[in-house]
Amino acid sequence: MATNPGKSGTSASPVLEISETLASPDPRHHLAALVDCSDEPIISKRLDGTIISWNAAATRVFGYLPNEIIGRSILTLIPPELQHEEAEILRKLRAGERIEHYETVRMRKNGECFPISVTISPIRDAAGNVVAASKIAHEIPERRKTEESISRLAAIVDSADDAIIGKNLNGIVTSWNKAAHRIFGYSPDEMIGQSILRLIPEGLQYEEEEILQKLRAGERIEHYETTRKKKNGELFQVSVSISPIIDGSGRVIGASKIARDISDRKRVEQLLIQSEKLAATGRMAAAIAHEINNPLESLINVIFLARQHSAPDSRVTQLLLTAEQELERVSHIARQTLGYYKDTGAPSTVHIHELIQNVLTVYNSKMMSSDIAVDSRFNDLQKISVSKGEMLQVFSNVVANSIDSMKQGGVLTITTRNVLSSPQEGIEIVVGDTGVGIDQQNLPRVFEPFFTTKGILGTGIGLWVAKQLVSRRGGQISIASSATTGSSGTTVTIFIPFAQPPSSPEGELQ
Amino acid sequence: MSISDLEPFLVAGSSHLYAADEPALPPAESSLQAPDSQSTNDSRAKVLIVDDQRLIADTLAEILSNAGFDAVAAYDGFDALDKASRFQPHWVLTDVLMPRMNGVELAIAMRKNYPGSSILLFSGQAGISEILQEGSSQGYQFELIAKPIHPSKIIERLKQN
Repeated sequence: MATNPGKSGTSASPVLEISETLASPDPRHHLAALVDCSDEPIISKRLDGTIISWNAAATRVFGYLPNEIIGRSILTLIPPELQHEEAEILRKLRAGERIEHYETVRMRKNGECFPISVTISPIRDAAGNVVAASKIAHEIPERRKTEESISRLAAIVDSADDAIIGKNLNGIVTSWNKAAHRIFGYSPDEMIGQSILRLIPEGLQYEEEEILQKLRAGERIEHYETTRKKKNGELFQVSVSISPIIDGSGRVIGASKIARDISDRKRVEQLLIQSEKLAATGRMAAAIAHEINNPLESLINVIFLARQHSAPDSRVTQLLLTAEQELERVSHIARQTLGYYKDTGAPSTVHIHELIQNVLTVYNSKMMSSDIAVDSRFNDLQKISVSKGEMLQVFSNVVANSIDSMKQGGVLTITTRNVLSSPQEGIEIVVGDTGVGIDQQNLPRVFEPFFTTKGILGTGIGLWVAKQLVSRRGGQISIASSATTGSSGTTVTIFIPFAQPPSSPEGELQ
Repeated sequence: MSISDLEPFLVAGSSHLYAADEPALPPAESSLQAPDSQSTNDSRAKVLIVDDQRLIADTLAEILSNAGFDAVAAYDGFDALDKASRFQPHWVLTDVLMPRMNGVELAIAMRKNYPGSSILLFSGQAGISEILQEGSSQGYQFELIAKPIHPSKIIERLKQN
């Protein structure tokens, strides 16, 4: 039973105080019933720590049934790291002291530790010697939970990726989390007590006054994108949300500010805008293709017919012929840009060098007239499965560039070889020239659509189209160039893997 | 990028393709003696030109006639099927993007009903790839040439096989 009844000892616990006026047939049973009814665990133990009684609430809270725990040491309930407490408790008990509302942690049968407040009273024998102790445990979930939630919040704030900064209404920093340290570069010591203006670039300091005004009015500022300054002076893009901190009486006493470094996002946005522009360009091209290519087709046919109907060798025939030639130029660009011819047919297996020889044949006269020599070394022993039309276009565009760059003559070098090493096996084609080269600042842009270094003579789509076609085939194209007089020239390297790319939905131009 | 005279590659599609389950069509020379050409004893190759842009269809028909073909123009897919039943063309040269029946649908219908006819699609748009995809998903692939194309190249192509 929980404790000795009143007669045999003093019981300090209020729960155990029994009014003598209560008529009770058997005080022992009465006490036992009271103890068992208690909502709070009531446990008694000998001074060696052996548990000698255990009420129903103790079973509920700790999880042990009486027969599982009576006779065992009280240490069973104490987390290992706190077992030193027991010696101190026993010392006090032996001295006859009572321990009230001692807050500690105890352990349930399932190993879970939980906060508890215990009151422990000595139990004396008839001679007044302390022989045992009664222990009333009181779960303290609420308060502990609050404390826990505070520390959990603190942990969350500190583990946040965003800078979370507290400031008062004078703009003085009152708290500074780890992310703030990481993002802005200032440690908490350097910032707490300092003005938030330290983080704001000179030109933007007026923002703070506006922010404070809004805060004083209790307003919240959400996802405000602005620029802030790091300790090292670097400016960066942030998105800030600032909320007033309101005390119990509804007064604004400060502000919490969450700042997110959005430099990366801004960069990505920039890229998205860029690619969206390109996609829009592509869509527009497709949309007007119909309206341009069809009339062109009609016009070519009409002029062709007109020429057939005009007297041979007449001025009219001559003029119509010129018109036809001019139209062919327009058609050529229209086909490449607007109609953007895609070889949708199945690929065929070819020798790459045969395709290149085809291209060289076409350009032969042009190269002769520009005094360009060709040095070709073909070592692509293996056939490869490609769309012939697309690859011809790629090589044509690259070779045409080289020829254009060698107006004063030069050497066009073309090599092909099998690449049989990892990561991918395939064929590498290198087209080099000794032309004027491309300025370093222009080099990163040569694969952009409508970028040209040829002034009005260029359309700016050749390399772009080449890259699209090579990429779609799963290959790579890269360019190196030097514009240094005396050693100028450009080298384009194309790699086509033997493996076909995984069949994707027909990639539109991007 | 300068675009120079790259005619051979840039104008026409490369390969003449057939659905795997279908035999390759006979070359034009043999299709000149198309089995059920009952309409005429004329030995000229018969070309049906289909384009909803009448000017294109008409001018091409005239040009091809001048070039020695027996050419007939049609202005949409139904018109083409109707004319094909009487005309029994060796070649059908059809635009792709047309109202009511697109060029690929027409080509598939032609393949089924007149397997002796060779089909050449011509289009001025990149946006037709879905239509072509649709056809090839049904097992049909057709040669495609890009508009605008100089008539002499069409003539050349029609004479090829």
